[in-house]
Amino acid sequence: MIGILVDVTKCTGCEKCVAACVQANHIDPVAAELDRATAKDGLSANLFCALEPVKGRYVRKACMHCIEPACAAACPVGALVKTPLGPVEYDPTKCIGCRYCMLACPYDIPRYEWNRTMPYVRKCTLCVERLKEGKRPACVEACPHEALSFGDRDLLLRKARALIRRRPKRYLPRIWGASSWGGASVLYVSDVDLSAAGWPRTASASIPSITDPLIRKTPVIGLTVGFGLWALMAVIKRRQKLMSGNGKTDVKTDREATGD
Amino acid sequence: MIDHTRKIKDVLWIFALAGAVAIAFRLWYGLGATTNLSDQVPWGLWKILNMVAGVALSTGGFMVGFLVYVLKIERLRPLVKPAILIAFLGYGSSGFALLMDIGLPHRFWHPIVMWNEQSFLFEVTWCVMLYFTVTIIELSPTVLERLHISGLARFLHRIAPGVVIVGISLSCLHHSSLGSLFLVTPLRLHALWYTRLLPLHFIVSAMGAGLMVVVLVKLVYARLYDPDSIFGPEAAVRRIPPRTPPGKNETPYEGRDMPMLRQIAMIACGILSAGFILRVADLLLTGAYESLFHPTWESGLYAGEILSLYVIPIILMTIPATRNSPSGLGAAAFFPALGLVANRLDVGIFGYFRSAGKTYAPSAGEWALSLGVVAAAGLVFLFLCENCSVFDTRWEDRLASSRRFNSAFDKLSGIWDRALRTGLRRVTLLAVFVVPLSWAALYPPFHGEGSVRAIPVIPPRAQDTERKVLTIIGDGRMPVVFKHSELQKRLGGKKSCVKCHHLSLPHDHSTACYRCHRDMESPTLIFNHAAHLDAVAKDKKLKGALPANRSCSFCHPPGKPKTAKTAKPCMECHEKDMSPARKPPEALAMATACGYRAALHKTCLDCHRKEAKRLNKPEMTECRTCHPSSKRARPKRAPQAPQILKARASGAARRQNAGG
Repeated sequence: MIGILVDVTKCTGCEKCVAACVQANHIDPVAAELDRATAKDGLSANLFCALEPVKGRYVRKACMHCIEPACAAACPVGALVKTPLGPVEYDPTKCIGCRYCMLACPYDIPRYEWNRTMPYVRKCTLCVERLKEGKRPACVEACPHEALSFGDRDLLLRKARALIRRRPKRYLPRIWGASSWGGASVLYVSDVDLSAAGWPRTASASIPSITDPLIRKTPVIGLTVGFGLWALMAVIKRRQKLMSGNGKTDVKTDREATGD
Repeated sequence: MIDHTRKIKDVLWIFALAGAVAIAFRLWYGLGATTNLSDQVPWGLWKILNMVAGVALSTGGFMVGFLVYVLKIERLRPLVKPAILIAFLGYGSSGFALLMDIGLPHRFWHPIVMWNEQSFLFEVTWCVMLYFTVTIIELSPTVLERLHISGLARFLHRIAPGVVIVGISLSCLHHSSLGSLFLVTPLRLHALWYTRLLPLHFIVSAMGAGLMVVVLVKLVYARLYDPDSIFGPEAAVRRIPPRTPPGKNETPYEGRDMPMLRQIAMIACGILSAGFILRVADLLLTGAYESLFHPTWESGLYAGEILSLYVIPIILMTIPATRNSPSGLGAAAFFPALGLVANRLDVGIFGYFRSAGKTYAPSAGEWALSLGVVAAAGLVFLFLCENCSVFDTRWEDRLASSRRFNSAFDKLSGIWDRALRTGLRRVTLLAVFVVPLSWAALYPPFHGEGSVRAIPVIPPRAQDTERKVLTIIGDGRMPVVFKHSELQKRLGGKKSCVKCHHLSLPHDHSTACYRCHRDMESPTLIFNHAAHLDAVAKDKKLKGALPANRSCSFCHPPGKPKTAKTAKPCMECHEKDMSPARKPPEALAMATACGYRAALHKTCLDCHRKEAKRLNKPEMTECRTCHPSSKRARPKRAPQAPQILKARASGAARRQNAGG
């Protein structure tokens, strides 16, 4: 599984990644420029990648491509799917526009094309098309300071651990994205605490791990309730029959009342 | 006989007609233009009020079915048909509102074909669709009998118990799953509402309040059509208009349906008590009660919701005086319904405001559609009540009366009387007034262009000298202490702000360095030519097919080459954006910003060099003077010469800028 490692300490906030992202996704640059000035947290339907100021650092904000994505678990039609390669891919031909993915995403990433009559969800694709051409994602390629590195997630994790081990004064001993919300393909190392300010609070368990056990019980609950009620109805019917001592009249009144 | 329901129908028609206009706008202009939803609050009124709360309010359908068909409480049988009608209309209107809410309504069938078994919304969609089918099957005998198709009706009667049981199982699933929908937002939904027991709370509260809704609807029906069944035979004798029911203490009689309603309300109250105990126990066990004692508006909402949903109805039902009077029973039935809606709005909308950092107030169009759909359901309810045997079998009497009624103005003139005598004419007249008015009120272009709204420009905060010392992070590794106030003094005091803060950007209190110095090394053009073309064309109100193409001469003088050098200085147009600082030199026009490193070095290095010579301290120009972590004395290569005043825009820089 592929991923991106973000070294927050190396980022200068030049936003070249944002410019490259706009270009790679064939977005209207004027619309993107307008959104950059007006979007509340930098992301919009025209900006899949933004730099968020956190404690004087610029932290890349884009889809984390979670290993167990909440958006994919939420989508009722399966338009969002975590592919084995790594990216969480969005299929616009399936989407019905319920926006449950936007509610479910713990990082608040998916954006909606509110200005359009036929809107779709927009978010970082991890440049799947570029990957197929053998290129790296546009933001990784654009970064002049090598703050972003691209590769196999396990290798990136090893690299991040090595960075922290080698420079303990520079980095905090934590890799963001390694285990938060069940882990993500995008990893962060930093010298400031990202979970403290401006960055979503994280938990170690993924969101599908909360909902999956429940939803697996659903058919069992449904069948249990159904058969339980059937049995209860039969028991009560029989008791009434026994108590009245004449089953026929009971059934008759039943039908009469129903036909009312 | 006089049709007393006419005025109610008129009001419902007004709402329904306004809702129809809102639907037209929503389909034509899209969600962004007609709603106040945003990326931070993606779910609004239609989904939470109409769908989640509407479905919960129609729980009576399966609960009465359970009490009558499974527990065999024969006394409640007259309420089966009304309850099913409520369920049918509740689910129908919810489904329609949901159809309007999803971004691509023509793809409503996708969940039937494209499955994602992992999704609670998928499960809810399926259960709601199946249960809606169940309510149609359960309701159709009533309609079929009216149409004298008795064979099919008899068959449907025979399978009724089985259908009811399927309906109950489906209801159990989706009512709890509606709560599970919000399980995916831990840490974002307010702690008062987020618990793992959300599905249980949802189904228990819906069961209790749903039964109360049946009581409420029955009471409303009795007021409109059948007062003696509730308000006692006295009402029938005196022909008391339904609007003024007899006082609760004076009536020695009791309506024949009161014991039935009281029983069902007691059952509902029992369920609500269980729900209340569950809620309180859950609150105590999770420890979320702490946030109840902080005076936030969330704690107020929570308290109000608990009072209305559980406490008030339980108290009202324990007092015999209120329990035995129709109005008291009505109040006991109304508060849980209100509390249920409040609970769903809290969980679905209000509970997210704190974490989203943004509030949401529904637009006029959202209210119109939401209420319009409900009003339409009310009209269908009245229609079916009048034309079929839902509550009782006397529909023929009512049918005779509903065709003829006293119009409101018939005493003023005979014209009004003639014009308003039939329902169709009356509705047509209403439409003539309501449709244009709501059209004018809801027309989306009157409310700004979609989600793009004008944002006031905030002047750079550095205008006030609060910030004495800045720490420039630079490339993160080598922080530099930057004495802002000293530099300001040297550059000429408060009026010198624009020398550094060139751009006044929305939401940007001070211009970040990287806004201009985007590149580490090479100069960057910060001028966005394409955006200026459009802005000038719009500002000067240029006409034609491509007005932007005519805007050249506003910046480039005619007859001269169209280059950056010949262009009008920025300040001629943007002076007002740069208040109240001094007008900068004209040479600033069309400048390219130098690289990030050069810019930062330029800020300090010139002065350092001068001072190093004057004080004879060559170490003042060394890297490690400012960058403590650096071990080098001299930079690897000399910092590039600053090019701030060089008005030259390379093609590469322009392309890069357009891309950014």
